Amino acid sequence: MVKILGDLSPVYVVGIGFHPYQHASDTPYVALGLQAIREALTDAAIAWEDVQSSYVATALLGMAAGRPMLRHLGAHGQPLVHIENASASGSTAFRHACLEVGAGISDVALVVGVDKRTSPVFRAPTGVPSLADDAIVPATHFALLADEYCSRHNVAPEDVALVAVKNHANGALNPNAQRRKVRTLEEVMTRPIAGTLTALQCTPIGEGAAAVIVASEEGIRRLGIDAGRAVRVVSSAAGSEKAGNQTNPDTALSAEIMAQAIREAQIGPRDLDVIEVHDAFAIEELLYAEATGICEQGEFIPLLKEGAFDIGGRCAISASGGLIAMGHPIGPTGVGQVGEIVRQLRGEATGRQQPGARTGLAHMVGIGAVCYVHVLQK
Amino acid sequence: MRDTAKMMQTGLGDELFQPTGASGDSAPPALYGGRCNSCGYVFFPPQSYGCERCGSTKIDRTELDGRGTLIASAVVHRHLDPARPAPFIVGSMELERRVVVRGLIEAGQDALAPGCPMETMIVAETRPDRGSTDIRFRPAV
Repeated sequence: MVKILGDLSPVYVVGIGFHPYQHASDTPYVALGLQAIREALTDAAIAWEDVQSSYVATALLGMAAGRPMLRHLGAHGQPLVHIENASASGSTAFRHACLEVGAGISDVALVVGVDKRTSPVFRAPTGVPSLADDAIVPATHFALLADEYCSRHNVAPEDVALVAVKNHANGALNPNAQRRKVRTLEEVMTRPIAGTLTALQCTPIGEGAAAVIVASEEGIRRLGIDAGRAVRVVSSAAGSEKAGNQTNPDTALSAEIMAQAIREAQIGPRDLDVIEVHDAFAIEELLYAEATGICEQGEFIPLLKEGAFDIGGRCAISASGGLIAMGHPIGPTGVGQVGEIVRQLRGEATGRQQPGARTGLAHMVGIGAVCYVHVLQK
Repeated sequence: MRDTAKMMQTGLGDELFQPTGASGDSAPPALYGGRCNSCGYVFFPPQSYGCERCGSTKIDRTELDGRGTLIASAVVHRHLDPARPAPFIVGSMELERRVVVRGLIEAGQDALAPGCPMETMIVAETRPDRGSTDIRFRPAV
């Protein structure tokens, strides 16, 4: 009989840390990563020697970037693995650290995501010819999905842009966000990129780092970690795209994996207080939010306009600012989502706290496509 | 794109469309897709590595009628690749047997609405090392 995370020993996030996401700079990735890791160790009040296993999520740094970073914490010889899974690299690393700790292989594990922007991203050719892949980049793909959604649900482009207005406002409250400026709808609607998507509705790929420490009950007890600030990881679900000529495989896949994560957490979608999704483009937040089941298809925009998804609304979506405002440095992003949810569930998200937040969901897709969803609960 | 090594590698070759236009009557140029002999899955672009649905390697080339329906379109205002200078229009089209393709559209944006009948047309290729012709979609007359 196969097992799910909930069948294993309970796993908790006990420490979170960041290097703020930012535009490309001369700061070496080693400095970015070390800042996030040290902050997470301090937050958990444990020493580097207490970490028994490390997962390094990075998509853009090249081969084996982790060891030249971790060595500066004091080399203690514990296992280390690198995980690359496109935008979902950090979420994937988090899942596997949780599985290792839940299985009892380790009591305490580090997950760190770190990246610096490189352009263009190298991918070896597949040998399969394409008609217009050079014309259809991610922004174009999501512009087509926005056009499809707007015609189906009779929604104006300005309505979709309201997602970005909300997320920029949230990002302005987050010291770790790359974009920290409140934007009006008029500002968001300037600088078109593809279709109705504008620059401020697209993620600004940058750089940064995020780290979390996961621990078992045994690890918490042994190291004297404050169990009152520990946040349990109640479910972890993952999947990859199936064959089909659908125009929107990311959403179909997300709906399936979110449903699995919510079911395994033994909750309903309307129990979610905070959600972080892969909102690299404004239309994505809308599609994935509907895919969680927190509202019906076509209901997102009216509810957004009522403030249902604001901080203080019925479910805060992208309270961190999301990929649109907090940023999307690739490797760190999924780890940073978990960090944000932990902060919210601890009640420590000063200035952007969702009142009474108890349950949160983190969702990432990675090009290809893969999908990773985690539910956390306090 | 059209070197022999790649054609041998994918088996079905890398021809994606009829390069010279109509076959027989006034039909628009067909696209070349693949059809799985085991499960019947029809797809585009063609490849013979294995069926994405069932894994079978028994795959044949199949012609897809160059007429379809527009699902969505978008004007690309900014594009980094200098070989594709913006602005241009891209679209998702549903062809026969539920195959969805994405490609460039030759039309004014005003002429495009979801559900609009579309057809293929041949244009001169402007990118280097891609042969002499390329294919576009346009609203069917």
